[in-house]
Amino acid sequence: MGQVMTDRITFDNVSRFYGEVLGVNRVTLSIPPGITSLVGPNGSGKTTLMNLMTGLVRPTRGGIRVLGVQPSDPEALFKICGYSTQFDSYPRGLTGFQFLDSYLRLSGMGAADAKKATSAAIDRVGLGEAAHRKVAGYSKGMRQRIKLAQALVHDPRVLVLDEPLNGLDPLVRSETITLFRELAAQGRHVIVSSHILHEVDSISDQVILLANGYVVAEGQIRGVRAEMHDHPMQVQIRCNLPAALAARVFGDDQVVEARLHADGGGLLIKTRDAERFYHALNHIALDGIEIESIAPADDNVNSLYEYLIGGEEATR
Amino acid sequence: MILRQIAAVIRLEMTKTFLSRRGIWTYLLALAPVLIFLGHSFDEIGNMQQRAEWAAARKVETADLRSITRGMSLVDVEVAVGEPHAKSVRRGNARVAVYQYTDGSNVFRFVFVNEVVTNVSVEERDTLAADSLIFATVFQFFYLRLAVFFGCVGVFTNLFRGELVQKSLHFYLLTPMRREVLMIGKYLAGLIATTVIFCTSTMLQILALGWHVDPTDLSTFLAGGGWGQIAAYVGVTAAACVGYGSVFLTAGLLFKNPIMPAAFVLAWEGANIFLPSTLKHISVIFYLQSLCPVVAPPEADIPRLLRYLITSAEPASVPVALLGLSGVTAAVLFLAGRLARRLEINYSAD
Repeated sequence: MGQVMTDRITFDNVSRFYGEVLGVNRVTLSIPPGITSLVGPNGSGKTTLMNLMTGLVRPTRGGIRVLGVQPSDPEALFKICGYSTQFDSYPRGLTGFQFLDSYLRLSGMGAADAKKATSAAIDRVGLGEAAHRKVAGYSKGMRQRIKLAQALVHDPRVLVLDEPLNGLDPLVRSETITLFRELAAQGRHVIVSSHILHEVDSISDQVILLANGYVVAEGQIRGVRAEMHDHPMQVQIRCNLPAALAARVFGDDQVVEARLHADGGGLLIKTRDAERFYHALNHIALDGIEIESIAPADDNVNSLYEYLIGGEEATR
Repeated sequence: MILRQIAAVIRLEMTKTFLSRRGIWTYLLALAPVLIFLGHSFDEIGNMQQRAEWAAARKVETADLRSITRGMSLVDVEVAVGEPHAKSVRRGNARVAVYQYTDGSNVFRFVFVNEVVTNVSVEERDTLAADSLIFATVFQFFYLRLAVFFGCVGVFTNLFRGELVQKSLHFYLLTPMRREVLMIGKYLAGLIATTVIFCTSTMLQILALGWHVDPTDLSTFLAGGGWGQIAAYVGVTAAACVGYGSVFLTAGLLFKNPIMPAAFVLAWEGANIFLPSTLKHISVIFYLQSLCPVVAPPEADIPRLLRYLITSAEPASVPVALLGLSGVTAAVLFLAGRLARRLEINYSAD
């Protein structure tokens, strides 16, 4: 069957069961290029989603396309896709260099080209000095990096990375995030799963929140947050007259709460309509209250996680 | 492209297959018959030297020795053939004596009970024809059915199952390679390993068995089609690896525990001769036996059931056997390809 190339990774009503155990259920997604984070507690279905995307497991129901390619066609899929799995095991006895070189040779690449690409990938993840040491002797962080190198050694358009920042020291973590951003800026898909929420928040163009095998939210963080009408938006304001400001904003019936900061230098507002609130704030600022800063307080993955997943867990 | 990928798989698998610690028993299985035949040769060389020494001391005519029959008295025997080259005597309720004589080639043993011959046995000089039958029997009973069989169980089931246990199979599945190509690559890697190990063993067995054979006899044997027989045995060994390899590669894809399918296949192959003609063809051993250059004889000391195993098979012609074995292998590998295509990574379940 002909495969139409698109720039999306799509899941169409995909379910996967392991016997009677639910992996993911009725997942429908359309993932654009950029950095997409899969967020959810353990067992929420993040790895299953990645394994489905890369054909390591097959859906019980539904269809998946990665830029138009079916995951059941590894020949086509892994020309455009690289996957750094959570599995921390490697072919026995190989050095880091041999590990990548073997991967490329298995892909059908000639010896000379494979060596060149291997060296480039190893340099890219900063493992040059350890390249000819056995992978079995690598630290956790080095093994993470060699897995990342394997995922990107063939210059794929789609990178699927399962917990890629685990075990990395702060410097390497920062370099790796920079690398993700570079790759995303080139128009590639970088799919990352992580449970470190503040990192996800800082690197993601969009998030997919999972709980118990279901996608509970997806999209750009702000967009998802704006759709959550049952949780009023929180806005931190630093100003010279917080009490006066609180009195003024309560005139707006969308504002449900105003809490003064203990230091007397600001307040936290909760509003059901952030756009309207920001608009009203412009007028207030013109009336003599000096506003130093305005920042959304729960417009991040951490809050989404807490509202959508933490709350759900809490109700159980 | 596909050939490059297959070569890459073989390169990666070779070290694992040849040098894995778990593979030691494959080498032991291959080495066992070599040691058996080597032991037989050393034993035979010792026997020949002893016979030569006895004959040099005093030669007895073959016709005289053959004239001794049960019921003759000790005195009559000593009159006919003289003092024995060796004798042993045991006293109990009856006086039992064993007298050994040689005519230079064969050893004659006469058992006397109370000085009357009760048993006559002849240990004939080992000949190439006799050794050929011994080899055929060991080759078909022990070597093909057990050594090569279990060697293939160890090597081929481990190709996929071993990687699932070690959680390293995903490395292959993340490459742009058709799963069928991976399967073929792994199969060929296993085939190279088992063929090298077991065909080398076959050649060493023949060498070990021929160690004690008179050089003139050996030259005559080789000139009269001996090389063809040796080539046939090596070929049958390779064919066994081809057939059993395909079966156990598939078993490794189908089953978590290779012992169960191995036991089933062993039972199926063993029961082959009792099966109806059509089912008989769905096996590996049927074709292998048909390809063997010497039909193993039903020896008197072989249990009756085993004798049935040898004699009841209706051999196929060489082209039919080769075609049949290829057909069985191709069908099984086709199934393996289908299974490989549907292979999933779920290490927690494996």
